[in-house]
Amino acid sequence: MAREKKRWGLTIVGTVVALVFLFPYLIMLVGAFKPRREILQVPPAYLPDNWEPGNFLTMWDTPETPLPFNLLSTVVISLGGTALALLAALPAAYYTARHRFRLRLPFLLLVLVTQMLQPTVLASGLFREFVELGINDTWLAMILVNAAFNLSFAVWIMHSFFASVPNEIEEAAWLDGCSKGQSLRRIMLPLVWPGIVTAVIFTFIACWNEFAASLILLPTDVNQPLTVALTRFIGQYESAWQYVFAVSIIGILPVVALFALIEKHLVSGLTAGGVK
Amino acid sequence: MATVTFDGASRYYAGNDKPAVDQLDLEVEDGEFLVLVGPSGCGKSTTLRMLAGLEGVDEGAIRIGEREVTNLPPKDRDIAMVFQNYALYPHMTVADNIGFHLKIKKMPKAERAERIQEAAKLLDLEPYLERKPAKLSGGQRQRVAMGRAIVRRPQVFCMDEPLSNLDAKLRVQTRTQIASLQRRLGVTTIYVTHDQVEAMTMGDRVAVLKDGVLQQCDTPIGLFGKPKNLFVAGFIGSPAMNLIPAKVNGEGALIGGQTIPLTPAQRSALTGTNVVVGVRPEGWTLKSDGEGIPAMVEVVEELGSDQFLYCSTSAELASVDTEPADEAEAPHTVTVRAPGMSAFQRGEKVALVPQPGAVHLFDAESGDRLPD
Ligand SMILES: Nc1ncnc2c1ncn2[C@@H]1O[C@H](COP(=O)(O)OP(=O)(O)O)[C@@H](O)[C@H]1O
Ligand SMILES: [Mg+2]
Repeated sequence: MAREKKRWGLTIVGTVVALVFLFPYLIMLVGAFKPRREILQVPPAYLPDNWEPGNFLTMWDTPETPLPFNLLSTVVISLGGTALALLAALPAAYYTARHRFRLRLPFLLLVLVTQMLQPTVLASGLFREFVELGINDTWLAMILVNAAFNLSFAVWIMHSFFASVPNEIEEAAWLDGCSKGQSLRRIMLPLVWPGIVTAVIFTFIACWNEFAASLILLPTDVNQPLTVALTRFIGQYESAWQYVFAVSIIGILPVVALFALIEKHLVSGLTAGGVK
Repeated sequence: MATVTFDGASRYYAGNDKPAVDQLDLEVEDGEFLVLVGPSGCGKSTTLRMLAGLEGVDEGAIRIGEREVTNLPPKDRDIAMVFQNYALYPHMTVADNIGFHLKIKKMPKAERAERIQEAAKLLDLEPYLERKPAKLSGGQRQRVAMGRAIVRRPQVFCMDEPLSNLDAKLRVQTRTQIASLQRRLGVTTIYVTHDQVEAMTMGDRVAVLKDGVLQQCDTPIGLFGKPKNLFVAGFIGSPAMNLIPAKVNGEGALIGGQTIPLTPAQRSALTGTNVVVGVRPEGWTLKSDGEGIPAMVEVVEELGSDQFLYCSTSAELASVDTEPADEAEAPHTVTVRAPGMSAFQRGEKVALVPQPGAVHLFDAESGDRLPD
């Protein structure tokens, strides 16, 4: 009996906690379907009287911001940033896991230190640098920034995966007739795959959500990502809240989808050393 | 099939002035089973890894047959290796593990399957072919590692302590299996172990290493019967040979009041005035009357087939003047083998006489064996 009660108690507490966390999302979801006048109505209603799915269509063409470009911007910057981060982190992770060189530890710590620097702190410096390089206010600039800020996490997580594969496994592959490239592709890659997936998805989500640096480095509206575009709907005199909510939903969909996809990987990825 | 030649091969690790393998000269014959043995850290694995191409060769050369392989990458050496931790590919089934080399070499699928089947049959692995390594016992993993090697029919097998992760009983069984399998296949094999019993039972010849330097390479009988120096004498044989420092006078070497005569050749080869007299536990005659080195039985180790007696002698066993500091190290105990089920008791007084043919003499200064 007592145990039964306890389980009920847990369920109730769990539900309440979940609701508290999910409530803002529910407001966002419902708000996205409200016509403009109902959002500001006093007292506010939880559900709209007139459902307005048209928000999801009209938001693409507003005076505030060119939303189709903003979405494209986010997608390009996220894909580019992730690809670049992976391209740089993969060899670094492999090399630091397999070779003992003199500055190995300082190197790994330096990589870690970059994680502590927030984009906001560096934004003005980066701005000047990009002006010098002539790539100010471009996607390329943001791809570089995003890749750089996510490099350390990607290097560390993949480093621990590579390090958990015994040297002898790779050596066995060489003796079995593999070139270095073949052993990387046929032996190492399948073994560190969960680490790579974890790193890619984390990096992608971080790029997708990046806001502060984009706000400073991308003044032109067609270059701005969704995160910055969102702020355009909040004006000095009036705000188009229904669009804020609708755009937010578009913005979080890929993140939610990716997290759902890797939920299982995530645990093994974060507790690294999955390969024995 | 091929011979393996180490020609003055050395390996220096970074940050170490002393080489891990020092000017190794070693010739392994075609089809031979050669065991590298020595204490931990003596350079056995390094030697093997140099041959396999996993470790660079800083001086000298290595040849397989007539082919110089010193600077060849591992994949081009045609060597199969069994690692201590087996190093199976965790994401592949047993069949894929065994067949990986053949796949890399682009052997047609049907032929490959046949070769895998053949190897699996030889090693009793047929029921496990579709399993992943994680689902196998230690002994099975060891056999998969063997299978991965034999399926290739390589020129040389390298094995680095392949039995050390097995329990004692399985180790003895597998020992004989590997030895007989190797003889059947006739592939030149270099086998590394720190266990001298493994070395003596498996090898056609055994090479003893110490601090990266080859001490002696000989048949098990040769090593046991004529150890070339003190290190080999003490390392080979269990229980170890009794090594007793002794002063040489006009008649011979003196141990515990007994005189061991020296031949003229031995006298002239001697550099100082001291020798070390070596007698194996089975090299003593036990006498109950007073003639011989007086000793008292301290411990009786009954093995059924044999009996080992640990006897304490008077402090004068070694006739060399030892520094007081060395007093504790001067041997007072002699190990003696007696027939199993003998009636020796703890505390019993015995007299020990070395059998004439069982005495080994070593120069105390150089540690080298004196000529017989
Ligand atoms: N990668 C390495 N770097 C530096 N020193 C090493 C390395 N591998 C082995 N050594 C040293 O070389 C010596 C021989 O090692 P090893 O061949 O592994 O000995 P064994 O296999 O006989 O136990 C040891 O002193 C060991 O500490
Ligand atoms: Mg070793």
